[in-house]
Amino acid sequence: MKISSAFLLPVILLPILSGALIQAFRIRKRKTVRIYTGAVTLLTSAAAWLMILWADDAPSILLQFTKDFTLKLRFDAGGRFFAGIVATLWPLTVCYAFEYLEDDPRQNVFFTWFTMAYGVTLGISMSGNLFSLYIFYELLTLTTVPLVMHTGTPEAIRAARTYFGFSLGGAAFALISMLYLIGGGILKESVDITRVFYVIGVVGFGVKSAMFPLHGWLPKASVAPTPVTALLHAVAVVKAGVFAVFRLTYFGYGTEILRGSWAQHLLLSLAVFTILYGAVRAVREVHWKRRLAYSTVANLSYILFGIYLMSPAGLTGALLHMAFHAEIKILAFFAAGAVLHRTGREYIFELNGLGRKMKMTFVCFTVSAIALTGIPPLSGFISKWHLLTAAAEENTPLSYAGAGVILLAALLTAVYMLGTVRTVWFPGKEQTIPENDASGKKIRDASLWMLVPMLILAAGILLTGLFPGIVIRHAQEIAETVRVTGGEF
Amino acid sequence: MLALMVFLPMFSAVTAALSGHFSRGRGRQDRDAHTGAAHAADHTESNAPYWIALASSALMLVLLAAAFLRPVPEFRISAVLSYGLYFTIDGFRRIYGLIIAFMWFMTLLLSKEYFHGHHNVVRYYFFNLMTEGAILGVFFAGDLFTALVFFEIMSFTSFVWVIQEETDGAVRAANTYLAIAVIGGLAALFGIYLLQNAFGTTEISGLYECAKECGDKKTLYTAGVCILVGFGAKAGMFPLHIWLPKAHPVAPAPASALLSGVLTKSGIFGVIAISCGLFRDDPGWGALILVLGTVTMFLGAVLALLSVDLKRTLACSSMSQIGFILIGIACTCLLGEEGTLSASGAMLHMVNHSLLKLVLFLAAGVVFMNLHELNLNKIRGFGRKKSVLQVCFLLGALGIGGIPGFNGYISKTLLHEGIVEAAHIYGWALKLVEWIFLLSGGMTIAYMTKLYVCIFAEKPGKDAAAFQAEMKAHRPKYLGVFGHIALIGAAVLMPVLGLSGNTLMQGTAHLGSSFFRAEELGKMSYFSLENLKGAGISLLFGAAIYLVIVRKCLMKNGEYVNVLPAKLDLEDSVYRPLLLRLLPGIFGPAAAVFGENKVLKPLCRWIMKASGALAQLFGENLVLKPVSKALVRASGVLSRVFSDMTDALVYLLSRSVLRPVSPPPTDEAENSVSYRIGNAVDRIQKRRGKEAEGSHYFAELFYRLRRTFVRKTHNLSDTMSFALLMMIVALTAVLLYVLFVHHFG
Repeated sequence: MKISSAFLLPVILLPILSGALIQAFRIRKRKTVRIYTGAVTLLTSAAAWLMILWADDAPSILLQFTKDFTLKLRFDAGGRFFAGIVATLWPLTVCYAFEYLEDDPRQNVFFTWFTMAYGVTLGISMSGNLFSLYIFYELLTLTTVPLVMHTGTPEAIRAARTYFGFSLGGAAFALISMLYLIGGGILKESVDITRVFYVIGVVGFGVKSAMFPLHGWLPKASVAPTPVTALLHAVAVVKAGVFAVFRLTYFGYGTEILRGSWAQHLLLSLAVFTILYGAVRAVREVHWKRRLAYSTVANLSYILFGIYLMSPAGLTGALLHMAFHAEIKILAFFAAGAVLHRTGREYIFELNGLGRKMKMTFVCFTVSAIALTGIPPLSGFISKWHLLTAAAEENTPLSYAGAGVILLAALLTAVYMLGTVRTVWFPGKEQTIPENDASGKKIRDASLWMLVPMLILAAGILLTGLFPGIVIRHAQEIAETVRVTGGEF
Repeated sequence: MLALMVFLPMFSAVTAALSGHFSRGRGRQDRDAHTGAAHAADHTESNAPYWIALASSALMLVLLAAAFLRPVPEFRISAVLSYGLYFTIDGFRRIYGLIIAFMWFMTLLLSKEYFHGHHNVVRYYFFNLMTEGAILGVFFAGDLFTALVFFEIMSFTSFVWVIQEETDGAVRAANTYLAIAVIGGLAALFGIYLLQNAFGTTEISGLYECAKECGDKKTLYTAGVCILVGFGAKAGMFPLHIWLPKAHPVAPAPASALLSGVLTKSGIFGVIAISCGLFRDDPGWGALILVLGTVTMFLGAVLALLSVDLKRTLACSSMSQIGFILIGIACTCLLGEEGTLSASGAMLHMVNHSLLKLVLFLAAGVVFMNLHELNLNKIRGFGRKKSVLQVCFLLGALGIGGIPGFNGYISKTLLHEGIVEAAHIYGWALKLVEWIFLLSGGMTIAYMTKLYVCIFAEKPGKDAAAFQAEMKAHRPKYLGVFGHIALIGAAVLMPVLGLSGNTLMQGTAHLGSSFFRAEELGKMSYFSLENLKGAGISLLFGAAIYLVIVRKCLMKNGEYVNVLPAKLDLEDSVYRPLLLRLLPGIFGPAAAVFGENKVLKPLCRWIMKASGALAQLFGENLVLKPVSKALVRASGVLSRVFSDMTDALVYLLSRSVLRPVSPPPTDEAENSVSYRIGNAVDRIQKRRGKEAEGSHYFAELFYRLRRTFVRKTHNLSDTMSFALLMMIVALTAVLLYVLFVHHFG
C-alpha cells in the first residue's frame, strides 16, 4: 500500500508551523517547551520515515504559477536517502540540545528556528523541481541565520553576516542558472554556454557545500551553539548544498552533456583542491570546533568529488560518504560540544588528559576519529573505499589525482583527529590532568541527555561499518537508476 | 573454530577490562608509581585482569597446538564490511599461530612481575589481548582484504603499547608509529582495492593464477608497491623503518618482544603474500625487494652497532634481521622455480627471529624492571652472578649471531645458500649482496658481543655501581618464579632447534613451503665445511668489528658513546618537515588569498565602489540631477499653466452658466431619525419619572458618528496609499482570474 504523495506537504508544514507556534504561545516553562519540541521532532521523524518507506512516487503539485514556475513535491529515491539521514539524526540532536541549552535564556527562540529548519530541510529533500528546491534552499538560509547568531556575541553576529552574505550571493548565482534552465531559449543551443551556466549554478549551490573558494563561512559559523554546528553545519545545511549540486548535475543539466567536458574537469580539480586545502587547514587549526569545520570542508568535497565523477560508482561513493560522514562528524561535534559545555575548553591544547575525566565522551570521539580517518571496520572506511574504487574505474589522470589526494587527506585526517585523541588519552608524564573547570566545579562526564545520542551514533558507526550492505544497496540503486539526461526531477 | 581463535582473545580482553574495572573499587590505585614503580610497596591493584589474560593465552596455546592435529575448516562471514571476511589455515599459518600463542603466553608470564606497581595495567592487558586477536586475524586471513582489516585493528591496539609509559619519548614514538601505520594502512588499502578491481578477488591462494592471467602489468606493479609500502612499513623495511628503533624501545619489554617478534612478521606476511603470489617469478620485483632488504639489513646492523641503549640495539637488530628475511624473499622471486632454499631460509629465519627476540627482550625486560634504566653505561655489569639470566641471554645471542649449533645458524645458512644460487645466475650484484650479507652477520655478532660483554662481563663504573646498589636495595630478588619459567622456556629452544636442522626445522620449512609456493626442503648437511665457511667468515668479521670499531671507536674513557649525529634522523630531517611544513607552505598562500577573504572581500568591495561611482555619476549629481531638475521645473510651469487655466475656466463657468446654488445644509444637528429616537427615549424617561433631556444627547451622538465616518473615509480615499492598495487588490483579482483561466480553462 502506498501513501499518497499529497501527504508530503503536511510533513513539511508540521515542524514549520509547530516551530512558529512556540513563539505564538510564549511558553514560560522550559520543560514544556522541551516536551513540545521533542514531541514535534519525533512526530515529524516518524512521519518522514513513513513517507520514506511507503510514499507514492508520483509528483504532487502545490501551486502552479505558470507551466515552468511550479511548486511541486516529489519524493524520489535520492530525496528519500537524504531525508532518511536527516530524519534519523534530527531527534538525536534535539535530545542533545536539551542538555546543551539547559541554562540558555533564549531557549524558546532556539527551538523555534531549529524546528522550522527541520521542515525546510525535509522540503529540500522532497522538492520535485529546481524551482521548489530553490525556494526551500532560500528558506533554509533564512531559518538558519538566527541560529548562527544565537549567542548574540559580536563574533556570532559577524559570522551570521558572513554566512548570510555568502548564501545570498550564492543564491543569486543559483537563480541565474535556474532561470537559464527554465527559459534559456536560444542560448541553450550552444553546449558550451549550457556548461557555463551549469558551473554558475554549481558555484551558487556550492556555497552551502563549502566548495573552495566559497567555504569561508563554514569555519566562522562554528561559533554557533554546538547542536547547530553539529547538525546544520555538518549535516543538514551543507548536505543540502551537496544535494542541490547532485540535483543540478543529474537532473537539471544531466551528466550526458557534462561528462568529459571542461566543466567536469574544472569542478573535479576544485573538489580535489578543496579536499587537500580543508585537511591542511584542519591540521593547522587549534580551535577544536573550527578544526572540525575545516575537516567538514574537506569531507564535503569528497562527496562532491564523487558526484563530479558522474559515474554510477562515483555517485554511490558520494551518497555513502554523505550518509557516513553525517554520522561521524555529528558525533565528533557532539563530543566537542560536550566538553565545551562541561569545561568551557575549546582549544585542542586545553584538552590534555581530559580523557580520564570524561571517559565516555572521548570514547565516542575516538570512534568518530578512527572512522573519519577511514580505518576498517568502521563506516568511514566503506565510503572511502567506494570513492577510491570509483576513481580507479574512471581511469583518468584527474581521478587518480583525486584518489591520491583522498589517501593523503586521510593521513592528514589521522594527524588532526588522532592527534587530538592522543592528547586526550595520553597526555604525557609532564602534563597535569585538570581536575576542575573554570568555575571550580569538578569535571564530570556528559550527562545522559548528551551521552545517549552519542552512544547511539557510535554504535551506528560501528554497525554501518560492519553491515553496510543495506545502505550500499540503496546507494547503488539510486546511482544506477538516476537519469542522465537532465530536465525535470 | 578459526573465528573462535580470532575473537576469543578479543572477548577475553573485554572480560579482563571489565574485571579490572569492577575490582578497582577494592583498593586505591597507586598513582605516583613512575620512578619508583618497583618499590611501590602498598600496591593494591587487582590481579584479576592478569589471570584472565594468562588463562586466555594459555587456552589459545592449547587451541593452536590442537590445530596441528586436526584439520580446521575455512570460515567465511559474508555480510560483514561489504566484502565479507574470510579465514583459512595452512601449514605456514599453523606454525605462526602457534608461535604467536607461545610468545603471548611467555611474555604474559613475565608481565605480572614486570608491571608490578605500574599504572594503567588494565589498559595494557586489554589492548594486549585485543592485539593477539587482531594479529591472529591477520595471519589466518584468507584474502588480503581480511588481512588489511585486522592489520589496521592491530596497528591501533598496538599503538597503546607504544604509548603505555607516556613518557615524552613514548608519546613522540607513538605519534610516529601511528602516522606510519596510517600511511601504510592507506597505501595497502589502495593497493588492495586495485587488485580487487583487477581480479575481482583478493584471495591470497588465488593471487598467483590471477596475476598470471592479468595482462595489465602496470596496475599490478602499482598495487604491489602500494601493498609493499603498507606491510613493509609494519615490518620495518627501509625507508619506512623510522618508527621501529623509536617505538620498540619505549614500549614495555613484554610488548617490545611481541612488537619485534611477531608484529613485524605480520608485515612480512603481507610481503610474502604478494611477492610469492603476484610476483612469484618476477626478477624485477625480486630486485626491488633485494635492494630494500639489503639496505634494511645493513642499516639496521649499523644502527644497532652504534646504539648505547640495550633495547634500542635489539630493536635495530630486529630491523636488520627483517632485512635478512627480505633478502630470502627476494631471492625466492629471483630464482623462481629453484627458490626452495631461500624460501625455506626466509621461513625459518622468521620463526627463529621471533623466538630469539622473545628471549632477548625478556632478558632486557628483566634488566629494566630491576634498574629502570637501559643505558649501557648504567646497566653495565648488572648480569654478573645472575647465571640464569646470563645463560639465557647467551643462548639468544649465539642464536641470533648465527653460531653453528644454534637456530640462527640454520636459517642463515639457507639464506646464504640461496644468495649463492642466485649469484650463479645474476653475477656480481648478488656477489656484492653476499658480502654485505656476511658483513651484516659479522656486525650482528659484534653488537651482541658488545651487549653481552657490557652486561655480564664488565664491572660497573663508579656511578653505575652506586646506582645499581641503590636499586638493588629496593628489589632483593631480581627475578620471580614465573619470570624464570618464561626465560628458560624461551631460551632452551635455541640449541634444540639449532641441533635439529634436518628434523624439526626441516618439518617447519616443509609446512611453510606451500605458502611460498616453493618445493619441499630436502635434507641438508648443515655442518659441512662449505656451510661452516660462511659462518666462519661472519665470525671473523664480527671479531674484527668488535675489537677494532666497538672497543676503539665507540668507547671513550671506558664509556660507551653514541657517535650518531642527531641530524641523520630520517624522520626529523625529511618526513616531518615534508608533512608539516611543506604542505602547509603550499597551502598557506592559498589560504591567505582565499581563505581569509583577501580576494573575495576586496572584490566585492571594489564592485560596490565601482557601482557607487557609477550611481554617483548617473544617479545623483552630474547627469540625472540636472535633467530631473529641469524636468521638474518644466512640469511645474506646465502644471501651473494648466491649473491656472482650469481655475480660470471654473471661474468663467461659475460666473456664466453654472451659477452656484446655496449648498444643502450638511450640518444637520437633528434629522428625523435622531429626533424619533430622542423622542422615544424621552417618553420612556418621562414614564419612569425623570427629566427628558435624551433627545439632545442622541442627536448629538448620531451627528458625531456620521461626521467621523465621512471624514475618515474621505481622508483614506484621498491618499496615495489607498490608491495603491486598491490597485493591488485589483491586480490580485486579475492574477487570480488569469490563474483560474489558465488552470481550468
